[in-house]
Amino acid sequence: MYSILDTVISWLLFLFGISIPFYLILGAIGIAGFREITTYEKYDTFYYRLNASVKIMLSIIIVLIATFSIWWIGAIITFGLLASYKSLKNGWRKMYLAGFLILSIIVGTVWGYAPYEPLSIVSMALKTPVSKFTTVWTWPPYFSILGYEHHLTLQSIYYSLQISFRFTAAVVASLLLVMTNTPAQIIKTLSKFKIPDPIIFSLVVAMKTVPAVFDSFDTSIKISMMRGYGGNKPRFLRPFVVLAAAIGSIVPTMVHLLRGAKDIGISADTRAFRAYPSRTYYIMTPFKREDYIFSGVLVMMVVMTVIAIMVGFGRAIPYLT
Amino acid sequence: MKAIEIKDLKFSYLSDEKPTLVIDDFYINEGESILLTGKSGSGKSTLVNCINGIIPHVINGDLSGSVKILGKEVRDMKLPDIARVVGTLLQDPERQVMNYSIVDEVAFGPENLRLPRDEMERRIQKAISVVGIEDFLERETTKLSGGELQRVALASVIAMEPKIMILDEPTSNIDPEGTEQIFRFIQENKNRMTQIIVEHKVERALPFVDRVVVVNNGRIILNVSKEHLMRDVEVLLEAGIEIPEEYIYAKKLRIDSIDPEIIREKLRESNIQLSRRERRNQGEIVMSAKVTAEVEGRKIVDAKLDLRKGQVYCIMGKNGAGKTTLIRVLMDFLNKKQFKVSSLLNIEGEDLSRKDYVIRGRKIAYLPQSFDLMLVSKNVETEIYYSAKHRKIPEFKAIGDQLIEMFSLEDKRMSDPLMLSTGQRRRVCMAAALASSAHIMLMDEPTSGQDFLNKKILGEEIRKLCDAGFSFLIVTHDSRFAYRYGDFIGIMENGKIVHEGTPDEIFRYSEKYGVIAPSDFVLRVSGEEVIS
Repeated sequence: MYSILDTVISWLLFLFGISIPFYLILGAIGIAGFREITTYEKYDTFYYRLNASVKIMLSIIIVLIATFSIWWIGAIITFGLLASYKSLKNGWRKMYLAGFLILSIIVGTVWGYAPYEPLSIVSMALKTPVSKFTTVWTWPPYFSILGYEHHLTLQSIYYSLQISFRFTAAVVASLLLVMTNTPAQIIKTLSKFKIPDPIIFSLVVAMKTVPAVFDSFDTSIKISMMRGYGGNKPRFLRPFVVLAAAIGSIVPTMVHLLRGAKDIGISADTRAFRAYPSRTYYIMTPFKREDYIFSGVLVMMVVMTVIAIMVGFGRAIPYLT
Repeated sequence: MKAIEIKDLKFSYLSDEKPTLVIDDFYINEGESILLTGKSGSGKSTLVNCINGIIPHVINGDLSGSVKILGKEVRDMKLPDIARVVGTLLQDPERQVMNYSIVDEVAFGPENLRLPRDEMERRIQKAISVVGIEDFLERETTKLSGGELQRVALASVIAMEPKIMILDEPTSNIDPEGTEQIFRFIQENKNRMTQIIVEHKVERALPFVDRVVVVNNGRIILNVSKEHLMRDVEVLLEAGIEIPEEYIYAKKLRIDSIDPEIIREKLRESNIQLSRRERRNQGEIVMSAKVTAEVEGRKIVDAKLDLRKGQVYCIMGKNGAGKTTLIRVLMDFLNKKQFKVSSLLNIEGEDLSRKDYVIRGRKIAYLPQSFDLMLVSKNVETEIYYSAKHRKIPEFKAIGDQLIEMFSLEDKRMSDPLMLSTGQRRRVCMAAALASSAHIMLMDEPTSGQDFLNKKILGEEIRKLCDAGFSFLIVTHDSRFAYRYGDFIGIMENGKIVHEGTPDEIFRYSEKYGVIAPSDFVLRVSGEEVIS
């Protein structure tokens, strides 16, 4: 029999997983914070001098390493790269913002996987029989309608935590690329990789638009709250009020941005965009000494990962073992 | 040779039954400069888009007839080929400029054309020098003022070396100084290229053009040389176009000149006294503010101001003077992690210095420049009820209905606010903001991109609300609007309010601060009073 207390705790646990990522994102990072970690700012340290192509390669290699190697390699890369944010402009602040983003991804991923993950899969991944699993909570039977496994085990949480580090490493590397390269530098690099111009242009417009999205969204939410939305709620509930106001602000923000997007398209088309299958570039970004050094580091990372997998640290995907 | 030749043109947007544009016969000679004017929604932009090829190559619709540029049919040309001949400068530089660095932006067009490096270099350097942006080439486009950004956008179009240049309301989002620079370019390049200037402000553009073309309801209703414009003043007025006041008096007094100073003398000789609106600056102080904002150790706002009951206080000054930031500090909208903010704010006797935007919103209503961002409800009625309803005011319906009536929105009550015209949307936003029961309203560039008629309606609404006890703090570049509807002006420079006074006092020396006096003022003031 399940007591009312069990049911209440179950629902609180359910809500915890949904609300904490939003709470962290809106409370600790905020919309303005998001803008800061997705916008390029001029500065002159190692990362800013590094060629965009090297950073794109870094992102790709990290995604591959985090996918194919054991989880703690992804975790080390995540925290290692996060620590290197110190060298960025306002490095501590960016580390703080990205840190909370990573935390929200970890909580969100763990809570998104752990209750659903079939125990047989977890057993295969951890090479531990289900009978040895430690049950931390038993859900009321009707939670199976949500797709939940009947028991939440410590091993499911542990396995989901491992999965989360596949995402975090890629996020930290991608933010690094966006924060230390102008859209033009990224265009030129992608163009060298023979990515079609319309796709590159879409990315550039997205990169230009992201800060404007956050600004417009922030203004729209604040105006809603100024006009009384959630004004009587206690302050600790503010992130949830912001979340609810944000939902209402999606349409006006999108309409506002789409009206602008039309002008960006006209601006490009009236300056002969797509006149030829490819473009030339006035300012070239040559490969410098640090680019060669960092490329060497990337090659070493790949080699070390291959060795790690060969000696048994490649068990991230249970189906392949 | 004719640069542009249009015959039997008809264009309808896919959603419209009636044609948006109908032009039987129209041409522009090579090297000619024309002013294309008309109220919002008259068809100006559609005409421009037919010339630069956006219609039919990007925007679809039913198009018939012929549009030729330099003898070639637009519909038969590819868009990049049209772009080699026709350059287009858009209204809002923030939407036109897409690159982070200025040089990348200027190089965008030549790069698309795959020009040899030497040729690219020549064009880019020439464009940079023509618009005079050499001094800030190293700055980021995201950190430029509106005027600076518009010059960058202009340089990027010039680098295409077009033979025909379309300037689509190029000055509506920039300060008078930036406006001056754009018009200087137009003046210097007159006859070197064919120019089409789309403008609401006839007064500003007229000295630089040969011909004036008025579009109304999708048709060209006037096409005259500027010398003959005076005899058609009524046509312009009927089409809802802003006419300099001196034109009206010049016609009335049968004077050939439109020089405001000559007309002023003639008015004096004829003993005609022009009316002056009484300024309302005697009410009690309802808002007293002393605020500062710092970023990276640099003070960007350090201002003190008092707003009185029933007063319209206009903040004016160059782009980048700190006007919008001042409003955002007052609203508590700045990101405290990026900006160091301090504010002493007293509203109607209540100290709100330490209160955030949620609390301040009970006393202050705010209308941002991008006012669409306010519209979160599915219909006009819900939007206007929103504030009072969320504040749990029992009579929210009565308050809302009163505002719906006041802003003439009865017939739009159940319409989706985002689908209304610009003027209607602005009215919904004002009504919705005022429904919060706040009696102080902060407005950021409310006249930007609005035509004469909409500006007039806005000004009259504001004055009506002032009579009802509301007070307004308005950031504006529009000198004429400030002169006609303002009571008090504060000039901002480097984050500080450096001068305050009535419009009649301020416009005497405002030019020093990049604020050009409107001709209404020049007609009313005696010559020796103006300090240049």
